[in-house]
Amino acid sequence: MSLLEVKNLTYIYGKGTPFEMRALDGVSLSVEKGEIVALIGHTGSGKSTLIQHLNALLKPHSGQVLFMGKDINADKALTRSVRFQVGLCFQYPEYQLFESTVYRDIAFGPTNMGLKEDEVRAAVSEAAAFVGLKEDYFEKSPFDLSGGEKRRVAVAGVMAMRPEVLILDEPTAGLDPNGRRVILSLIRNYCTQTGKTVIIVSHSMDDVASLASRIIVMNRGKIAMDGSVEQVFLRSAELTKMGLNIPQVTQILLELKKRGYAVNSSVFTLEGARRELLRVLKEGGGAK
Amino acid sequence: MIKDITIGQFFPGDSFVHKLDPRMKLVLTFIYIVAIFLCQNFFSVGLVFALTVLCVLLSRISPRVILKGMKMIFFIILFTSVLQIFYNKTGTTWLDAKYFQITSGGVFTALFVVIRIISLILFSSLLTYTTSPTLLTDAIERLFSFLKIFKIRVHTLAMIMTIALRFIPTLIEEIDKIMSAQKARGADLESGGVIKRAKALIPIFIPLFVNAFRRAYDLALAMECRCYRGSEGRTRMRQMHLAFRDYFALAVTVCVVAAIVFFNIQFGSVL
Ligand SMILES: Nc1ncnc2c1ncn2[C@@H]1O[C@H](COP(=O)(O)OP(=O)(O)OP(=O)(O)O)[C@@H](O)[C@H]1O
Ligand SMILES: [Mg+2]
Repeated sequence: MSLLEVKNLTYIYGKGTPFEMRALDGVSLSVEKGEIVALIGHTGSGKSTLIQHLNALLKPHSGQVLFMGKDINADKALTRSVRFQVGLCFQYPEYQLFESTVYRDIAFGPTNMGLKEDEVRAAVSEAAAFVGLKEDYFEKSPFDLSGGEKRRVAVAGVMAMRPEVLILDEPTAGLDPNGRRVILSLIRNYCTQTGKTVIIVSHSMDDVASLASRIIVMNRGKIAMDGSVEQVFLRSAELTKMGLNIPQVTQILLELKKRGYAVNSSVFTLEGARRELLRVLKEGGGAK
Repeated sequence: MIKDITIGQFFPGDSFVHKLDPRMKLVLTFIYIVAIFLCQNFFSVGLVFALTVLCVLLSRISPRVILKGMKMIFFIILFTSVLQIFYNKTGTTWLDAKYFQITSGGVFTALFVVIRIISLILFSSLLTYTTSPTLLTDAIERLFSFLKIFKIRVHTLAMIMTIALRFIPTLIEEIDKIMSAQKARGADLESGGVIKRAKALIPIFIPLFVNAFRRAYDLALAMECRCYRGSEGRTRMRQMHLAFRDYFALAVTVCVVAAIVFFNIQFGSVL
């Protein structure tokens, strides 16, 4: 039994109006415990729509979403408990902060779960540590923080519910390179420390390559590819057709290969590329 | 969902009704609303209703949309007609239970009032269904520009209205998004008593207001960067011209108003 299973999901925005829009069309997938899945796709391909089904914020027009084998839309109590077990962090989550202090904002989720005060405090501290927020931030107003810090508070607000599955919608959108790096390494830390399942939506292939173990590519409301990082990035021609890229380092290696250097182009991270290039250089600069 | 509200929405198209000059549409809508209140019997109200239906058909807006808009006022209609039926005790008695009577007079007045309300809502929503908000405020600005002589800043008011209308869909979308985000953190918006529900709105409205102010600052800055300084010396990108169809629509309206007055005199009042 998979942890999370989506069966033949279809969703139409504005059903019954002139503005009908088929955002999801027969999507099926399953996610196992401990996986780190990246969901990529062109703007408007239905990624955000899909993930909102995973915690029953949207109800499918046809198809099912199963969490630990149970249909999450079957009854209200189950839906509510799934909201805590499948933690969803929206795109630009900093615009949803509302409390008077950082602590209270992070505590919103755990409090809604009905935890006792000391349990809430423990959950908040743990989540704040995951996103690298020091305790002296707790009494500040979330509106006085920088953009990147707000983002971290918002992510912590979801982590504090200790969800089985953490879903992040474009966690690095709109951040500067440094902010992106920080957020990504925090997520990586979270994964290794908790071993929980993480689904991350992203536009950036470089981010995805360094983080995920599996990639799901969406195109026009359908799943176009689903496989390991290597399997997906080897199909670069198809990706380009969908308006997507492969990681920049892979592009460089492919270009080198085209010019006759004996490099292995199925390398997707900066570190891997460095090693590969050093190896080739050591072996005499490759065959020209 | 909040998005399902269709009253006040605009549905693009190129029908006869869409193409009418917005100033003319505004004036004619006003005349019709007055005309609907002038109606005193079934002949005149029937005429207005037939014309309303004709305009809806001409606009080629899907009946589904229209019905959805009507759903909103269903309870108003129900309430008014029930009230009329029990309140009015004229004419022959059709049903005489101990505590209430249903009379022909009551039923007729109820029917009459309902037709009037439906025509009224249909006609005024047709205006927004077929005119884009920018055109509409543009038309309002021009029609009322004579108020300038009373030192009323018509342009400023119109601009405020344009911006407000422009941001309604944005705000609705934003409410939807914030609600989803807070629900994802376990906010319970659907159960509990009045006080609990009111409290549950805090996590929705605070971010909404914060974002609205942020957006207002951004917009003001962007407008200033493009040297916006009110109506002074501002020319228009879109000139409005009255065409044959506008005069035609006006002529039809004049005829209908004349007919209503004639029917009123000829057949008396049912009220
Ligand atoms: N609330 C909505 N009402 C109507 N249509 C919508 C709504 N939300 C999304 N859509 C449409 O559904 C399609 C899928 O949108 P979705 O937000 O899932 O895309 P996405 O893959 O997350 O894109 P992005 O990368 O830009 O975030 C889009 O074509 C969009 O226009
Ligand atoms: Mg999205």
